[in-house]
Amino acid sequence: MSIIEVKHLTKEYQLGHRGSLKETALNALRRMSFQKVKVRERFKALDDVSFTIEEGEVVGIIGHNGAGKSTLLKHLANISKPTKGRVSVNGSVAPLIEVGAGVNPELTGRENIFLNGAILGIPKKIINRQLDEIIEFSELEQFIDTPVKRYSSGMTVKLGFSIATSMDADILIIDEVLAVGDLAFQRKCFDRMASLIDKQNKTVLLVSHNIRQVARMCTRTLLFDHGKILMDGKSVDVCNKFYEIENQLISENINKKSVAEIESDTVKINDITIVSESGAPIDTITTGEPLRINININILKPINKPEIVIGTHTTDFVYLTASSTDACNYKLGDLNKGGYKINFEHLYYPLKPGVYAVRIAFFDQNRNVLFSGENLIFFTVENKALESKEPPSRIINIPSKWDVNG
Amino acid sequence: MITICKNIYQYRELIQALAWKNIIVRYKQAYLGILWAVLKPVMLMTIFTVVRSFVGIETGDIPYPVLTFAALLPWIFFQESASEGVNSVTSNTALIKKIYFPREVFPLTAMMTKTVELTISFFILAVLMWHYQIVPNIYILWVPVIIFYTMLVALTISFFGAALNVYYRDVAQALPVALSLMMYGSPVMYPLSLVHKTLIEEQAAGEWSNTLYTLYTLNPLAGIIESFQSVVLKGIPPDFEVMYPGMILVAIFLPISYLFFKRAENWFADVI
Repeated sequence: MSIIEVKHLTKEYQLGHRGSLKETALNALRRMSFQKVKVRERFKALDDVSFTIEEGEVVGIIGHNGAGKSTLLKHLANISKPTKGRVSVNGSVAPLIEVGAGVNPELTGRENIFLNGAILGIPKKIINRQLDEIIEFSELEQFIDTPVKRYSSGMTVKLGFSIATSMDADILIIDEVLAVGDLAFQRKCFDRMASLIDKQNKTVLLVSHNIRQVARMCTRTLLFDHGKILMDGKSVDVCNKFYEIENQLISENINKKSVAEIESDTVKINDITIVSESGAPIDTITTGEPLRINININILKPINKPEIVIGTHTTDFVYLTASSTDACNYKLGDLNKGGYKINFEHLYYPLKPGVYAVRIAFFDQNRNVLFSGENLIFFTVENKALESKEPPSRIINIPSKWDVNG
Repeated sequence: MITICKNIYQYRELIQALAWKNIIVRYKQAYLGILWAVLKPVMLMTIFTVVRSFVGIETGDIPYPVLTFAALLPWIFFQESASEGVNSVTSNTALIKKIYFPREVFPLTAMMTKTVELTISFFILAVLMWHYQIVPNIYILWVPVIIFYTMLVALTISFFGAALNVYYRDVAQALPVALSLMMYGSPVMYPLSLVHKTLIEEQAAGEWSNTLYTLYTLNPLAGIIESFQSVVLKGIPPDFEVMYPGMILVAIFLPISYLFFKRAENWFADVI
């Protein structure tokens, strides 16, 4: 039997404010006298969602804001009830939905451990046995007898996470909790989650906006969009699909904006295009080929000894490449008022297929930023061969040679 | 009823922990601490005693301060459990939206918290009785039963009120008014014997007298307070004739109230 079974789950919320007592009474009266009742508009947060999860599976749930992820978790944790359909969960659930929900600011850390334990249904005996371990994991030995209201927010979350993960449940539901605490603690949380997943063979549901994390931790991923499951499959495929949609959305949004709007008081970008070898505008290049960018600018104030930097980045702002006139030893003279045309070329662009964007910055002789623009134009990189043949986890395509000898 | 008992047993640790939290949080930074809990009955007792000195209320042979304190003790326990219970769900919004456990834990916790405060009031009662040299007899063993019955009455109001309060916050606003009115309809300031004397013996309301008296005893608190005073101060068994009307009322409404709560519970997280 599957550990989680969701069948035709639909959840509707009423839009607008809930009626007052008076309105409810009036509506009841209208209903009794067979008059029409004002019905408020309904909104489907989840729309006919069905899936099953087997024991030991680690499933990621991704989607845009308002896609229904959190609503789904609320149903799995039995907090909300479906409007239609059925949710059956065969096992105990540890909901790490916003850790620290039950942390009371007036109590000390130690008192909160016991209180939260009780709220999560962990017997006192087990808490007593694990108390030292919980305190040690939270790194709060020194503050454990101080009221939580004097804690920093990071400390509170550390405490919450330490308690929640000490619970011995069959199913762990994690909602964005790994994005907390300092880097070292995040690492620790990550390791603990990994050990829960690998060694103890727990069923885990991970909801996150951090797609890279989902792709790394989960074997299977559900992609939600407007309350429906858009895709259900191997994490790598689903995450790629998500990126695809994301990139499309971003480039649609940005390309609507005319480039001419982008200007500072010294530099104005009139036009920017990706061009082919022959100079024709294109929006797609092949991986490993040169990336040629033509830019028309207007200099509004003269610049002495300027430096120009052109680079590319991913749609989620991971800076990939950058090239400056200084570093290239290009002798760029002073720029006077008037129009200029820049022809720029990355001699080869080896990134894996995807959508990338161009950024430009202008500096004066003192390295002060005069102009800086990101997401100026989007372009798609394609593969020479079939992408499905390529290994999935990579960023850069570097030509390689193989030699396997017996 | 069976499920509620099962739930109480299963979630006893949680109820304990939450009640303990309530008490700690409420009195942690107060210098007088939990002594504040007994201040209310003591103050009211003092005021009633002063008022009585120029209004004149027949109370029989038991000193008025201890008599009225014995009335205030179950009354305040009931009043505070009910109002705390009604607010218990809405004041735990964070938990309701994040974690599931049977929601009746909240009203039960509220009552548990008040039970601890009640225990302290008992010490004051003991001191008063010692001062007036009233020695209780074997009938004092009825006290736990009477307190348990008081709990059921408070729960009847808590369950219904708490569920309704999630949808309409009007309930929490109206409740204090209703409860303070109810206090004057309960034999707190005056003994029940006075009501009995006026209505039954003197037939003060003419042919309506007997009906009015039954209506008066429909209030479960009338029976509770009278019985409490009987077993603690007078050393006589509880007067069941006064208890029955209220008991029937509770027996009908407690299950309805609980079922209403359980049905409304499903939507707490969405509506709260």
